[in-house]
Amino acid sequence: MSYLRRLPKFEYLAARSIDETCDLLAAHSNEVRLLAGGTDLLLQMRRREACPAYIIGLKGIAELSGVTTLADGGLAIGAATTIQAVMSSPVVREKYGVLAEAAAGIGGPELRNVATIGGNLAGALPCADLPPALITLGAQVSLRSRNGERVVPVEDLFPQFGMTVARPDELLTTIQLPSVPSCSGGAYLKFHDRQSMDLTTVGVSALVTWDAASRTFRDVKIALASSAPVPLRARKAETLLRGRAFAEDALEEAALAVCDEADPRTSWRATRQFRFELLKSLTKRAIRGARQKAAPTIGDLS
Amino acid sequence: MKNQLRNEYDIVGQPTPKKDGALKALGRAEYADDISMPGMLHGKLLRSPHPHAKIVRIDASRAAALPGVRAVVTGKDFPGVKYGNLPQTRDYLPLAVDTVRYIGEEVAAVAAIDEDTAEEALDLIAVEYAPLPAVFDPEDAMRSGAPLLHDKAPGNISAQVAFEFGTVDEAFSRADYVRDDTFETQPVKQGMLEPHACVGLWDDSGKISLWACKMSPYVVWRQLAMGLGVELGNVRVVQTFVGGGFSGGKQEAMPMDFCAVMLSKRTGRPVKLVHTMDEVLTIGHMRHPMKIWLRTGTDKEGRLLAQHCKMIANGGAYSSIGGFSMYLAGAMLNIPYRIPNLRYEAKRVYTNNGFCGALRGHTNTQICFARDSQLELIATDLGVDLIDIRHRNALQPGEKTANGFRIGTFAFDECIDRVVELSGWREKHGKLPKYRGIGFGCGSHISGARLMGHSASAAQIRVQEDGTVQLTTGSTDVGQGADTVLSMIAAEVLGVTVDDVRFARVDSDSTPVDPGTFGSRVTFFTGNAVKRAAEDARRQLAEIAGKRMNVDPDDLVFRRREIISRLDDRQRMSLKEAVRWGAFQTGQLVISHGSYAAGDEKIDFRTGHGNLSPAYNPSACAVEVEVDPETGQVKVVGFWGADDSGFPLNPLAVKGQVIGATVMSFGPALYETLIRIDGKVMNPSFRDYKMPLTTDIPKLDNFQHSNVVTWEPEGPFGAKEAGQGAGTGVIAALANAIYDATGVRMNSLPMSPDRIFFALKQNKEKERAAKQSSAAAE
Amino acid sequence: MKHLLPIALRINGERHDLLVPPWRTLLEVLREHLGLTGAKRSCQEGQCGTCTVLIDGKAVNSCLYLAVEAQGMEIQTIEGLAKGGVLDQIQKSFVQKGGVQCGFCTPGFVLATKSLLNDNPNPSEDEIRVAMVGHLCRCTGYVQIIEAIQDAASQLKHVGGS
Repeated sequence: MSYLRRLPKFEYLAARSIDETCDLLAAHSNEVRLLAGGTDLLLQMRRREACPAYIIGLKGIAELSGVTTLADGGLAIGAATTIQAVMSSPVVREKYGVLAEAAAGIGGPELRNVATIGGNLAGALPCADLPPALITLGAQVSLRSRNGERVVPVEDLFPQFGMTVARPDELLTTIQLPSVPSCSGGAYLKFHDRQSMDLTTVGVSALVTWDAASRTFRDVKIALASSAPVPLRARKAETLLRGRAFAEDALEEAALAVCDEADPRTSWRATRQFRFELLKSLTKRAIRGARQKAAPTIGDLS
Repeated sequence: MKNQLRNEYDIVGQPTPKKDGALKALGRAEYADDISMPGMLHGKLLRSPHPHAKIVRIDASRAAALPGVRAVVTGKDFPGVKYGNLPQTRDYLPLAVDTVRYIGEEVAAVAAIDEDTAEEALDLIAVEYAPLPAVFDPEDAMRSGAPLLHDKAPGNISAQVAFEFGTVDEAFSRADYVRDDTFETQPVKQGMLEPHACVGLWDDSGKISLWACKMSPYVVWRQLAMGLGVELGNVRVVQTFVGGGFSGGKQEAMPMDFCAVMLSKRTGRPVKLVHTMDEVLTIGHMRHPMKIWLRTGTDKEGRLLAQHCKMIANGGAYSSIGGFSMYLAGAMLNIPYRIPNLRYEAKRVYTNNGFCGALRGHTNTQICFARDSQLELIATDLGVDLIDIRHRNALQPGEKTANGFRIGTFAFDECIDRVVELSGWREKHGKLPKYRGIGFGCGSHISGARLMGHSASAAQIRVQEDGTVQLTTGSTDVGQGADTVLSMIAAEVLGVTVDDVRFARVDSDSTPVDPGTFGSRVTFFTGNAVKRAAEDARRQLAEIAGKRMNVDPDDLVFRRREIISRLDDRQRMSLKEAVRWGAFQTGQLVISHGSYAAGDEKIDFRTGHGNLSPAYNPSACAVEVEVDPETGQVKVVGFWGADDSGFPLNPLAVKGQVIGATVMSFGPALYETLIRIDGKVMNPSFRDYKMPLTTDIPKLDNFQHSNVVTWEPEGPFGAKEAGQGAGTGVIAALANAIYDATGVRMNSLPMSPDRIFFALKQNKEKERAAKQSSAAAE
Repeated sequence: MKHLLPIALRINGERHDLLVPPWRTLLEVLREHLGLTGAKRSCQEGQCGTCTVLIDGKAVNSCLYLAVEAQGMEIQTIEGLAKGGVLDQIQKSFVQKGGVQCGFCTPGFVLATKSLLNDNPNPSEDEIRVAMVGHLCRCTGYVQIIEAIQDAASQLKHVGGS
């Protein structure tokens, strides 16, 4: 039975560039952890769940932080960009609203001023809020090592509980978002007991692209938090909605399909049964909300 | 009446900022963990991983040998004298000796040059345990064959109480209506932001000093002396600023206090110990979870004729103040409604969990939840208006309850009416849109209590030659505002300003002994003592001034730092001039003291009969909620409360207390609970032990509290308590609001989203089934 | 010694040169090396806000920030708010409006308020609540804290900013 302790001993390496970080990762491979914001890592260390001999501090790497519009209309976000910066970035709010929404619900200002988007991904916690939003936005991450760089879609980033596909010598450097099709809107909804600060019991991100001419769902992307061992894309529900009209029965079917794909666990925080019920409600609401943003002039179902 | 009173006084009745507020806002208030002393060592406690086990052997040699470690102590290093809150149930030891009875119980302590080293040293202490079968549920613990926690407690009964007032069975037989319901409440922690912390010093002369955040330093003083086997005179307890108390560990001597001083004895250096917050949330000290079976009989109009209450409290591994808690729950059933016939049976049961004791509201919150939830069920069944049923049963000033409480001021009817008015009850109840509801809840509390042991308070005043007033009492300010209110009382009597009064924190070497801060006693008991001390100081000053000015002391008034003849206001002198003249010319110093003991009535704790408190407070509230039927989440969107706290001496502080007590009940009503599986606390973190945040309270426009002002003759300047009563009716109000919003009756706390969701689902299925069967019938 | 790092921290406008192990948090260095005990040790998990300090004007939990990483930034603690012993307006409002009871959460709330009002001098009640969710208070029930923040915002507007 261990109680929260002082941080364990480690050697601190302040990296000044991405290249330097890759070199350090290669040099220390299995005994090193990356410290971006540190709000998760330091806690793990206090619990002695992680005792790395080396910590590479990323706060001093300017190139790792920032939101940049790309030539093709997409967006690149540095992995060490704080949640607060993501949430308040004008282009994120305007064009990738679901990401801003997911970011706004994480903790409180003190946490958001320090925690990073990269950390929220690399931590591979199933309750993380950004992965589902990023999955629905079709985001990809760049993983860089001394040997080169590869790009991995966020939905392929999590092979199993608590892990990403990143190798020990790889640094997650950027999150790339493709431009969002016109007539699209997104919503991220999550449930927790209090109105703020709680860990997500379940979360649903929905991105809807609306076909005004046929008044149907041109495309739907749905992804879930705390509904499986990893952030989960709900493909069955997406397929079900594509081409359908916006109707109560369609939403109901989509909600059931999401439950079919999800695999939430029973823990002392919430039962599997309750999480399924929440998923049903939140899926419908998220799709409704996303559709409303995609086509604001059209009324909702009454 | 209200305005008249306010104009009569210069100081009391005015909203007054807290005296130590500036120091705290500057970040300069010294809490125990802020203390640093030369050569100070840092301590850490080793805790049992088992819920129940024999300690076979402890080998601390490797720990002691770790560089930087200066001392290790175990249970055997103490005299083996048990201490505790009640003489009959002393079962605490500084550190476990042969048995551990809950996960987290303290087993050893280390002092080292820094915390990192102390933590490492804990890893090196080898404790060999022989695990014993453990029991966690009180009903399991009472069954024959259950593991026995304490040899002297067969059936694991920690305390048993049975009261009977009136003729209960006869009254039930007369009743037009009888119902019984069972309610369950959960373990709730104090949740203060400051973890327990202390610095101990055992110096070469044998003097033991402890600097600690204690609400009742003298309780600690006596417990330390007892547990260490030393003379009281060798022990000094100094109260640091307290970062929130709400009873519990800050009310008593804790293992950390004993270990700090013992480690200091070993090392010759001061030793600091600070709990981490997960330690705080793991150890004992919490509100008793209760199973309350309540049978109530009424007449056709909802008048309470008889009540029978059977309560089982999950007491955890040790007694704490639990014996008194069992009496108190039954006593609290007698207010704020008239119950002429009452039978109360309670058992406090030992289990291998963290032990329970007092926590703001002390049994009253649980009892009021049960009783006021049931009252609505009764009213609904009888077709009686929910407000009328409260009025019909409301105790009135001058009444005596079945168990002997003498009710003085008690503006309960006004509190109810004020809430009905403020909340818009009549326009809302049963009329709000679906899934929105409003509920009413009532409660009450005491203004201090006549206890078996130390009940009385005393105060000392010394008026200095610069006109300042040195006020010392043994009661503590723990944030509630005692420092200010007691200073206000003294200032009012002596005609000086609040800033002229210096209020000292408790130091057992120099302040008067006192029971401490609990049971809402300070404004009342200590306030009365301060008022008397100030009046005596005033008498002394009048005598001096009278001599000096050749005026009859009885003709002198004290206002604005002056002493003035009421017959001719040209005859005046400043207060400080009078002090100087007295001291310089006649050697008469102005030193006074006062005390208050609420009379010498005794409570018979066995029968439950006796007038526990000199004054009682009624409380009423209404709360409006929005329930999300698809998730079960409850949003508190409106709250209106009214309390009779007598004359509010400091309305600014009273507001802080009643709202604080109110919000402190929101959590346990809706989502706050200590989750324990097989004795292990699963959520020892503020992340998962969920207390209300700024976004969990209603908008300010919809969050109102009103004082129903009365004048309690027993209280100092008419005042009564304000810190606990306001929280007692809140949980029932929320249960009743949820019922109004959803038709679902929650009898178990917390009324968390999942429980509400599935109860709603079940209700819908029942409705559907009923419709189908009635359709089939046609 | 390999384990000690020389660091320079700028705190409340003053430079402090220290030798600390890398595993010391900013909170620990403030409290234990510099005697600045206004930032408190409570949950140590970023849930309670009592350890809040401002780093380049932004509120952060100093219990989750390594001291070595706080170099090159302007750190403001509660001790740096009052000028010459005169309370800052936010501190005054907290005291005047009953926003201080036990006081343990007060430094954290005051600094968070400073950060809020710097970015948003005229916050709505909702914006105040949302800005303060990282801060627990068990004593006040928050009403008088919110009123204190509203009062501070209003007073500062009259004086034309802080």
